[in-house]
Amino acid sequence: MKKTNRKTIIAVLVIAVALIALLIATTRSSTQYFLTVSELQSGDTDMTGRNVRMSGVVLGDTIVYDPQTLDLTFEVAQIPGDHRVIKEMGGMAVVLEQAAADPSLPRITIHYNGVKPDLLKHEAQAIVSGYLDANGVFQAKELLMKCPSKYESALPTQSGK
Amino acid sequence: MFYIGLLTFAASVLAILTALLLTVFQLIKRQTQLTKPVIQLANLSFGLHTLSILSLMVMQVLQDYSNAYVVSVVNSVMPTVLKMTAVWGGQAGSLIFWSWTLNLVLFISLHVRRQIQDAWSFLFTALNVLFFSSLSLFAENPFSRVWLLESGDVLDGVFSPAAGATVYGGISGFGLNPLLRHWGMVIHPPILYLGFALFLIPFSVAMSHLIRGESGEGLLGETRLWLLSAWVLLTAGIVLGSWWSYDVLGWGGYWAWDPVETASLIPWLTSTGLLHSLLLQKQRKIFKRFNFVLILLTYVMVIFSILITRAGLLNSVHAFGESKISLPLTLLTMILFGVCTGVLVWRWRSLYSGWELTSLVTRDAAFLYTNVILISLTVVCFYGLAYPLITGALTGTQIGLDRTFFDKAATPLFILLAVLMAVCPITAWTVNSAKQLGKAVRIPLVLSLALVVVYYFFLTKSWLGLLVLFVITFGLILMVGLTLRDSKTPRDATKKWWGQRARHGAWLVHAGVLLIALGIVGMEALEGSIQGTMIPGDKMPLRSYEVEFVQLTREYENPEYMTIEAELVLWKDGKAIDRLFPGQHLYEDRGQYVSVPDKRSTLRGDFYTLLLDYSGMMGYVTIQVSDNPLVNFMWIGALLMVLGAVLAASMPWKSLKLDSAEEQEQELAGS
Repeated sequence: MKKTNRKTIIAVLVIAVALIALLIATTRSSTQYFLTVSELQSGDTDMTGRNVRMSGVVLGDTIVYDPQTLDLTFEVAQIPGDHRVIKEMGGMAVVLEQAAADPSLPRITIHYNGVKPDLLKHEAQAIVSGYLDANGVFQAKELLMKCPSKYESALPTQSGK
Repeated sequence: MFYIGLLTFAASVLAILTALLLTVFQLIKRQTQLTKPVIQLANLSFGLHTLSILSLMVMQVLQDYSNAYVVSVVNSVMPTVLKMTAVWGGQAGSLIFWSWTLNLVLFISLHVRRQIQDAWSFLFTALNVLFFSSLSLFAENPFSRVWLLESGDVLDGVFSPAAGATVYGGISGFGLNPLLRHWGMVIHPPILYLGFALFLIPFSVAMSHLIRGESGEGLLGETRLWLLSAWVLLTAGIVLGSWWSYDVLGWGGYWAWDPVETASLIPWLTSTGLLHSLLLQKQRKIFKRFNFVLILLTYVMVIFSILITRAGLLNSVHAFGESKISLPLTLLTMILFGVCTGVLVWRWRSLYSGWELTSLVTRDAAFLYTNVILISLTVVCFYGLAYPLITGALTGTQIGLDRTFFDKAATPLFILLAVLMAVCPITAWTVNSAKQLGKAVRIPLVLSLALVVVYYFFLTKSWLGLLVLFVITFGLILMVGLTLRDSKTPRDATKKWWGQRARHGAWLVHAGVLLIALGIVGMEALEGSIQGTMIPGDKMPLRSYEVEFVQLTREYENPEYMTIEAELVLWKDGKAIDRLFPGQHLYEDRGQYVSVPDKRSTLRGDFYTLLLDYSGMMGYVTIQVSDNPLVNFMWIGALLMVLGAVLAASMPWKSLKLDSAEEQEQELAGS
């Protein structure tokens, strides 16, 4: 009995070590920086090529979609990253509306290859994962849409892969 | 209706509060029996709570637009069933609905045949009901009204926000987001909620056991049915969500490691582990500590999952972080975690049960390995969710993990788990010599190999798929074979099979999981897709299929939306085998469209078509078609899991027993 017990302890330890190694290894290759548009463009640290997740408000006029090649480009404008700031400004719906109408805010072009999400439209919130390329265009690998309105808060997210 | 709804809700909260105070008073007097007034107050609370939910529903169906919540989730063209179920379509409504679900579970626990609530467990259950009801009443009240101020502004609030403001019903409803107008929305949330809520009872009973310093032996029998029902509903809820997103939300995705999905998976993982180690405690009187930890952890993780879903903490990283209830929810999660840890530490010594295994290759060892993997998966999911929160709190800049983290970290663990399940039906026999093993499995082996040849020609040519199918077939035949072997008449066989239904049920659950794995293999490794623009008469090839575009049609019959559909003919080997109509629903009130895929579903897989774009004037359409082999095994597998668990649950706990290694050896030697 005792012997088996010791074996079990060793086995559990080995598994625990393996698990920690797995976590460390995958963490390193999957880290992603959560930034706002202005943080990405500020140039404090060069983020070009890094794995970034960013959110902004979609500017409807800039959406260009080629259903043949599935190339989708659009611009998003800066929205604050801190949810306390968003709350103070009157909530996400207000923030989105104001940001879409304010030409002084930093903007960035997003390029995505894939099916255009149903929810992609003016004043919708886009959450993109990808990287900034050398031309200053954000190459999105993943695109998540949200369009909160004043009275809605439990919308599903739609994600493209 | 407004007054009925609000007053009954407030009274219900008051009733449960009074019941709680009475209980506390009793506990001070060291009375642990539940008294009649307490039970009656709890009944009253549940009844009133139900009335208030019903009045909210009535307001929705009657389109009472003086209610702010009704304005947000209902409009005139939505079908009645969706108007009703819009109760859980928005934040405020789904919160009162969740608190009602907890109250329902409390009500059931007080009235099932075998009473399991004592004063302590009632204290914990009712505290949870009270917490969420109060949150709903004071922070996210669904009975909030729309007010027109003298200045002409419109505000919402339960009571008049300013002097001279009048209730205003002139805003026409927005209605649910079109993506939610689907029957998935009708059944997926309530099933998931109920699954979550049912874990509250085992949690409360375990807390009561710990506080009263009981041995915890009785706990197993008392809570097993609760755990199993919770597990079944949670499983069904998760899979329904996945099916909904595959079937409707457009891209044929079924799982995206979205924080909300991942969070709902955590209690599933811990409770699955719990169901295994409960058996070990019953059979071998070991792992008692582990079981207590898992029961408590599962409910804490349910609350954590609610926190992730509602508080928007994770998404708030750069997005939707506005919620009045995030602070109280965070506090609740932390307090629960603290209290559970405290109570466990306090009683740790008395929970000692030993944990010696007889051997490292028997079935109980396999149980242990299973649990180690399940716990590892829990750690991976939790770590992935908590990582951005922790880095954000420590460094100020939030650094998160993308979904490749989950794919990379969880996949090897899931594969290990699948391997364990695959060998599970044979583990019982591994203690025997290879010769005896060979005897028992000879016929099943030959039969299942023969069937694999059939699968090769009719189902799939993927070797991995065939391997999984082989394991499942082999196990199934073995199960039937072992039952039939000793029985002379069909009646005997049925009786024997029924007598061991807990084991067979568990086996069905495992077969179900393996089938889901098979579906995932199909989606991830064997999927193929193509898209292209076509004019009428054009054909587009994909593998052995061809898709022909016939025409584009429009329809205005539905009051909610306009339908645009592409008519496609599916050809295979020069024969037209099906007609498909992928389309888009245009919701004019929203300026939004929803893609509605159409597919040809067979056991071999789905042929999935999506209308990406169209031009009425030019007469072209852009279509995406995908061949998703084996995907339907996912849904079949889920069904098996649910059926298997129900079958296992029908076995009374007392007559449940695992076979010891020795018994199995004898059983085999006798054959």
